[in-house]
Amino acid sequence: MALLETEILIVGGGVLGCAIARELSRYKVDVTLIEKKPDLGWGITKANAGIVCQGKDTLEFRPEYHRSKLLWNSLPKMEPLCRELGVPFQTIGGVEACKNLEQKGKLDKLIKRTEKLGLGKDEFHWRPELLLLEPDLAPEIIGGVYDPEIAITDPIKLTIALGESARKNGVEVLLDCEVENIQKQGFEFLVRTNQGEIKTRYLVNAAGENIDKIARMVGGDDFVLFPVKGLIGILDKKLAGMVTHLIAVLPEQPGALNIISPTVNGNLLFGIPIQINRRGDYSSTKEMQEVALRNLRGIIPDISDKDVITFFSGFLMMQNFEIGWHECVVRMSSLVPGLLNASVGYPGVSAAPGVAEEVVEILKKEGVKIEPDPEFNPRIEPIPDFSALDDQAREKLIKQDPRHGHIICRCETVSEGEIVEAIKRGATTMDGVKYRTRAGMGRCQGGFCGPRVMQILARELNLPVSEIRKREAGTGLMLYESKELIKGRMAS
Amino acid sequence: MKLEGIDLAIIGGGPAGMAAAIRAKESGLERVAIIERGEYLGGLLDQCIHNGFGLFYFKEDLTGPEYGARFEARIKDLGIEVLLESMVIELRPDREMVAVNRKGYFRTQPKAVVLAMGCRERARGSLAIPGTRPAGIFTAGTAQRLVNIEGYIPGKEIVILGSGDIGMIMARRLALEGAKVKAVVEKLPYTGGLIRNQVQCLADFEIPLMLSHTVTYIQGNDRIQAVEVSRVDEKGEPIPGTGKLIKCDTLFLSVGLLPENELSQMAGIELDPLTGGPLMDEYYQTNVPGIFAGGNVVQVHDLVDNVSWQAERAGEYAARFVAQGGLRKRARITLIPGRNIKSIVPQKISPKEDVEIYLRVERPEKNVRVHVPDVARKAFLVVSPSESIKIKLPAEKLKKAALEKEMVIDCLPKKGD
Amino acid sequence: MAKNEIICIGCPLGCRISIKAGKGTRNFELKGAGCAEGKKYALSEYQNPVRIFTATVLTQDKSQPLIPVRTSKPIPKKLLKKAMLDLVNLKPKPPIKIGKVLVRNFMKSGADLIATGEWKT
Repeated sequence: MALLETEILIVGGGVLGCAIARELSRYKVDVTLIEKKPDLGWGITKANAGIVCQGKDTLEFRPEYHRSKLLWNSLPKMEPLCRELGVPFQTIGGVEACKNLEQKGKLDKLIKRTEKLGLGKDEFHWRPELLLLEPDLAPEIIGGVYDPEIAITDPIKLTIALGESARKNGVEVLLDCEVENIQKQGFEFLVRTNQGEIKTRYLVNAAGENIDKIARMVGGDDFVLFPVKGLIGILDKKLAGMVTHLIAVLPEQPGALNIISPTVNGNLLFGIPIQINRRGDYSSTKEMQEVALRNLRGIIPDISDKDVITFFSGFLMMQNFEIGWHECVVRMSSLVPGLLNASVGYPGVSAAPGVAEEVVEILKKEGVKIEPDPEFNPRIEPIPDFSALDDQAREKLIKQDPRHGHIICRCETVSEGEIVEAIKRGATTMDGVKYRTRAGMGRCQGGFCGPRVMQILARELNLPVSEIRKREAGTGLMLYESKELIKGRMAS
Repeated sequence: MKLEGIDLAIIGGGPAGMAAAIRAKESGLERVAIIERGEYLGGLLDQCIHNGFGLFYFKEDLTGPEYGARFEARIKDLGIEVLLESMVIELRPDREMVAVNRKGYFRTQPKAVVLAMGCRERARGSLAIPGTRPAGIFTAGTAQRLVNIEGYIPGKEIVILGSGDIGMIMARRLALEGAKVKAVVEKLPYTGGLIRNQVQCLADFEIPLMLSHTVTYIQGNDRIQAVEVSRVDEKGEPIPGTGKLIKCDTLFLSVGLLPENELSQMAGIELDPLTGGPLMDEYYQTNVPGIFAGGNVVQVHDLVDNVSWQAERAGEYAARFVAQGGLRKRARITLIPGRNIKSIVPQKISPKEDVEIYLRVERPEKNVRVHVPDVARKAFLVVSPSESIKIKLPAEKLKKAALEKEMVIDCLPKKGD
Repeated sequence: MAKNEIICIGCPLGCRISIKAGKGTRNFELKGAGCAEGKKYALSEYQNPVRIFTATVLTQDKSQPLIPVRTSKPIPKKLLKKAMLDLVNLKPKPPIKIGKVLVRNFMKSGADLIATGEWKT
């Protein structure tokens, strides 16, 4: 790549970076987004639980805090945004439960404060009423607060759709593009990446797990964030319907979550115990798994370990508990002009639209010419979801493209047509196909569809199967071709 | 080919589906159709390039593809209709079903259905092995397809978790293809498969078999780099401090097969938690009239010959169901697993005809006799969970014993012998 | 397992049968067999262990990259590893039906190498 010049460079293609890119694409300003992984949303966003809420369920929520304000503004934007982008959004309602009177005391404080701030009157329900909502609650739960507005979405689908919409509206999106070095040259930044150099006037640092590394490259880190690892478990679809709302219990561990929730894919998700951890270490330990399962049974006792189909971990960047983890970093760096750092902690997805708008305002104040682009098109047509369509729609789809009649992933009923479309829209890896179509997320975890998805990727990308990867470089699936090892032995 | 007006729909075209289709057609049904989601008939047979198939059915030692080809030839001769790359995505208790393929979306209601969907493999997630989630982990059956059909070798230093037959067979296969198979790790104190495979797949290739061990950690961020293997106690729990690291670039999982009954559940069919398959009677009919089942979808079989024989019964009775508009209701005896019996198929039988039942024991035992009280007794030098037992129950004996509504079948130590 | 110990594969008992050469070249002492069949198997396995060899052969045809093959009858166990190397050089041509002989007297074993799958043109 020859020297690329842009006005605003966004580093990081997670939900924040893509939301910011999409928001900026409403205006006639030259924006470039770079993401170091092969696809969007594979950093912190990937392990997000997808819960759309205000965080007002936490005692740290206060409207005068920056993060709380952001969330408060952001939340009403989520549903319209998801509808525009064709991303799933379901309002399911949530219960914040407690197991003893001391915990109830905390919930009462919350209720009082929410009411005092004019944010509405929530009510505490004792157990018999809660059981009407969730009949399988553990016997230790004595009651809780019900919030009917809690919703769920698919964080990676949202991120990918935001990126697609940004791209459609003129943002240049570069994947597999990693920052190696940043230099300030007068008013501009010279960013050296593995794909070449980028010159930019403004740098929006939304690099998630690596936000501090990026800021430090140019001396702009006026914040302290540290990585915290959380563990999420996914339960078999056959338990769908057992829990129909988000259920949260006040966690023993500060900063952790103790929840079970339906997902938009029809599974149940639970977690999220946390531990401070070295970045890049996505391993899950037996101890954390046991904590997650124990907590789960403290909410819904009738779930067995056998119902878990997978565990995975992800990171969150948090501020020091003592300073106040409720705060976030969305501001121009006080050390380096032109650098904007953006990190929000929990709940990241819900805050994204709010952060994006705030970033535009900040940049406006900095002097960026923000002129609306009349050609901005907010809509994205989603990849058709064969499994969710009715008979007629399915027939129509198959007539349009017979590949929709060839089911590849039987656990999630995903057709070849959907997989090809996902590849057309940017999936180049097995995980890329998985996050866009759900192929490989079901019960058999890709045992049946895996080989077939590999073949389709190879065919559509015109690559030998041996170059098809699960995700990043180094995750090639098939290392050798038949007889290659023997030929190697013969040669030696 | 139209799906309208078919007499019998068979879901799955593997060794069970093909056998059921052939028997049903031979019984006189006009329109019998196999609906198969894969690219060819045979199911998993084509990827089972090893021998050991048909020893009893054909009295020959064949490989999987050869066994399947015999049935395919007969299917062609009989004019049985075959829909490939077609998936049944819905099945209702009134036998209404939805099938979909590139040509379109079909709703139809055959007069009878035989379920022959087989099994799927237990995946890593349900094992909850701590560690990372790198590339290079495959279930043994998926690996078998990749190695034997698609032509790829997943890696060159392999560890296999689980000593079921498929795990051991893949150990041999990869060793022959030039990979180094570092160990087969088995949680139990004995192998999950045939002794024959222990000898011909592991001992022949000097592949270490680590009994009473399991994988307790997976290492490697992008591609698997090593596994930690630990000893387990009598309860199967890993013993802390016994972990050893084995360097590898590939991990195969051969940790269990689960009959695939999603469609069955959709149709309201009652399942037996002991087999994972539908509750069967001697007609091989499920609790939903007109829906029959045979093969691995009913129970995990270890011999393909039994899969075909069992499915033939399902096909025969399904044909009778169509011809007669139903099958006569019968008073039945429920068979209850007793001492050291894990599961029995069929679970309910009628004293009106001779019935062959399949049993699986819970643990290996020597010098035993399986007791079907007042009906049959069969002695064995040894019984093992990896080899299912067949016992024929003669009708006259059943009639006499049929005063009971339930019959407990025990596996008892032989006294005195 | 010691070199002169055979695990019998006849039934799940898996008797470990030890074999010692007795007086003369034709006498053997067997210990540990649970039945006569086991004794027969152990003797034959000790003197002349044979296996049916099964594998795949490359076709260079993208639509069907491999054909499965096997020996028409068991061949000496010690030939197996080298057998794989011989397969590498095979370049079969379609059409191939099940049972077609690809190599006569494969590895000089007396058994043929036959195709166990079809390859259509």
